[in-house]
Amino acid sequence: MIGAFNLKKYFPVRGGVVGTQYLKAVDNVTLTVRRGEVVGVVGESGSGKSTLGRMLIRLLEPTGGEILFDAPEEEMVKYREALESGDKESAEMISRKYSLLRKKGSELRKLRTRMSMVFQDPYSSLDPRFRILDVIMEPMISTGYLRGEEARKKALDLLEEVGLPRAFGNRYPHELSGGQRQRVAIARALSTDPELVILDEPTSALDVSVQAQILNLLKEFRRRKNITMVLITHNIAVVSYMADRVAVMYSGRLMEIGDKDDVLTRPKHPYTMALISSVPRPRPGEARKRIVLKGDPPNLLSPPRGCVFHPRCPMAFHECGWTAEEVAEDINYLVQGKYYNVFGDNVKVIPLQDKVKVEGANPESIKKVLEVERENIRSLTAVKEVTEDSLLIIHAFQEPKLYKESERRSVSCLLYR
Amino acid sequence: MERVKERAKVLEIKDLRVSFHTRRGVFKALRGVDLELYKGEVLGLAGESGSGKSTLGLAIMGLLPRNARVESGEVLLDGSKDVLKMLRDYGSRDVKFDPRKNEKLIKRLNKELREVRGRALAMVFQEPLTSLNPVLQVGYQIAEAVYYHDPMRLVRRAISRNRCTQADLRDLMTTLKTKGEEALIEEVEKRNLRGLEEQILSIWRRQDIHEAKKEKLILSLDKHKLDSKDRLGISIYLRGLQRVPVLGRLAKDALIKEGYRLAVEILTYLGIPHPEKVVRMYPHELSGGMRQRVVIGIAIVNNPEIVIMDEPTSALDVTIQAQILELVSSLKASSNRSFIFISHDLSVLAEVSDRIAIMYAGKIAEVGPVKVIFEEPQHPYTKMLMDAIPTMDKTELKAIPGSVPDMRSPPKGCSFSNRCPFVMPKCKEMEPPMVEVSEGHKVACFLVGERK
Repeated sequence: MIGAFNLKKYFPVRGGVVGTQYLKAVDNVTLTVRRGEVVGVVGESGSGKSTLGRMLIRLLEPTGGEILFDAPEEEMVKYREALESGDKESAEMISRKYSLLRKKGSELRKLRTRMSMVFQDPYSSLDPRFRILDVIMEPMISTGYLRGEEARKKALDLLEEVGLPRAFGNRYPHELSGGQRQRVAIARALSTDPELVILDEPTSALDVSVQAQILNLLKEFRRRKNITMVLITHNIAVVSYMADRVAVMYSGRLMEIGDKDDVLTRPKHPYTMALISSVPRPRPGEARKRIVLKGDPPNLLSPPRGCVFHPRCPMAFHECGWTAEEVAEDINYLVQGKYYNVFGDNVKVIPLQDKVKVEGANPESIKKVLEVERENIRSLTAVKEVTEDSLLIIHAFQEPKLYKESERRSVSCLLYR
Repeated sequence: MERVKERAKVLEIKDLRVSFHTRRGVFKALRGVDLELYKGEVLGLAGESGSGKSTLGLAIMGLLPRNARVESGEVLLDGSKDVLKMLRDYGSRDVKFDPRKNEKLIKRLNKELREVRGRALAMVFQEPLTSLNPVLQVGYQIAEAVYYHDPMRLVRRAISRNRCTQADLRDLMTTLKTKGEEALIEEVEKRNLRGLEEQILSIWRRQDIHEAKKEKLILSLDKHKLDSKDRLGISIYLRGLQRVPVLGRLAKDALIKEGYRLAVEILTYLGIPHPEKVVRMYPHELSGGMRQRVVIGIAIVNNPEIVIMDEPTSALDVTIQAQILELVSSLKASSNRSFIFISHDLSVLAEVSDRIAIMYAGKIAEVGPVKVIFEEPQHPYTKMLMDAIPTMDKTELKAIPGSVPDMRSPPKGCSFSNRCPFVMPKCKEMEPPMVEVSEGHKVACFLVGERK
């Protein structure tokens, strides 16, 4: 149905001492959605999931990459292969035919009837000066899908379909409750009979009891009309209820994608594991292992090198992208704290280019500490060797790509190379 | 269950009724809430938006806005202190409600409650960015909380550290190592160095550093002497001259400076890396999880008995939420504090609470131990709520039809009657009373009373 290939969105951040920097909101995301499928995109705030959703229907222009719309599956596969092998010519051929990014003017407007979006906050996504009926008719009229009396009739039918009385057509958004507004937003999204609907956090602003109503409504529509959906949410339980496939994002990158049951019950990427284990469950007293991640998601202006997740990853190893600064910080922490009795006061830890200098310490005792702490403090795995003069050499790193873990799942982690 | 009964009540709420007078009518936010909180427990307060759970939190703190009328009820701290007495005396009178008059009372109440807040009660709000002051350093905000509630603590800390000698510290260190923490506190009293013990213990209780390092840090406490300006400031404070314009500033500066030291200790305790740097930062420089830790730090710095947390994790991501929940559990374990944890997310409450109260339309629908509430809920609303929460293993969600009633004119009888599948004629006529079905498990529904 729709395929995004190496999609990128960099937002410029001007000012500051360093000049213009780029915030990599979405970086090299490849995602294909088949017809009739519900793909859930999960991630924490700032992971780029909303930006991705907006790019998919061209509410935002991507900085780079390609989106193919309504291309047959073979063509998508061919395009991906062409990209991987560097066959520019055949990639160009396919992209000319299906590219959403090359569509302009009336052609794009026509495509707009085939895709739509439901936003998170039903309080700000409906124009307070429009009557409900006008809200629902607006997309039909602006794309020229239907007009006049026909559009009116369709809008009234839709109201009924989303479970609201027809009389609501003459009301204004402020007269409706949150759940009712979200129903209106869904009716508006469905007004041009789209094949693809992007749902951006459709239930996060609603109460639990109403959330269940909306989710069931969406499920019902999906069954009846075979609509393809991309469901963007931070709520993993919602994704597990709605989606067929799940894509997990972190810091603008795709971490793992695969069938819902695989990803949610047998996660492979360390981040997905931690994410799923930290979802609270309504089972008091249930004994389970929760992986609590240290620290916070990284600053996207200067993301960590190598794998973006490595500084928080409990399974990271030597090639994940450790820098001298990261290693130095952890060693300093050990030297000052836990191993203070071994090293004393006069040790200085200085990060250099891909090396860490530990002044005033005996290389043998450093080696011993590394040996013991390696299991817990993952950055220490990056130390390749300790030289005679207590210089710690750091391993070279590798950028992880999306690796096929099995037929239906890809994971962006070096563990699955 | 037995243990719950033994515990002392720290807070008791009796038949609390609060309504908000607005231009669009009188909203009855709380309609007769009875609840108690025991020492050392986490009470989860669940409910949808508009159920009155936040209003209840604010009412306990005495932080109601001017248009809130306390119609009846009591909030008893430690079984005696009636927090809302002043407002209730006005609100229960049968006169036309005047928000301006109420506001004056609230101002008086605030002055009176300054004593209580901080030391007995503290609150953590949902959005950490709005509850922190953006133009003040994090350390200052923690220091200020102590400065206003317990300035003498800062004075004691500063003076005791200034007075102690290396010999004192060595002796105290041996006492601590051989006889333990209580003996240390006694020894400190004996040497007239009160205020030093918390500084020693905050280092001693750290988990992240080696014993030798702790010892060294404790022994170097006497190196941090006061400079002449701070000494002057503190002596001004002790002579009661803090209200004199210029001198007052000197006194406050000295005490706040001491507060920064305390802030570093608190932040270390809360697991914030590089606390010495963080206290000099402004809220916008911190991430959401760190900000929430700072807010929790401000709440617990005065060692309150009760901490009310209003949706403390709702604005955070799941992985950060997990960190904060972990922190709350460890705070509960390490002290005998009681928490009221308000959340709309039942799953979060299942993780942290000992007991749960479910609110609906300004009343408690059901209250009981967590296990009972999740495994054998009795109230139809609780049951339906459980079926409506999406979880990772559910394949079907049963939505609750309809929506919350308009609180300007709540329905007669049971407020859930218009959405309840088991509704009976009498539900529309009378309000169901709270019935105790088992030890500590109370339900407000006729179905339960019937069966008994």
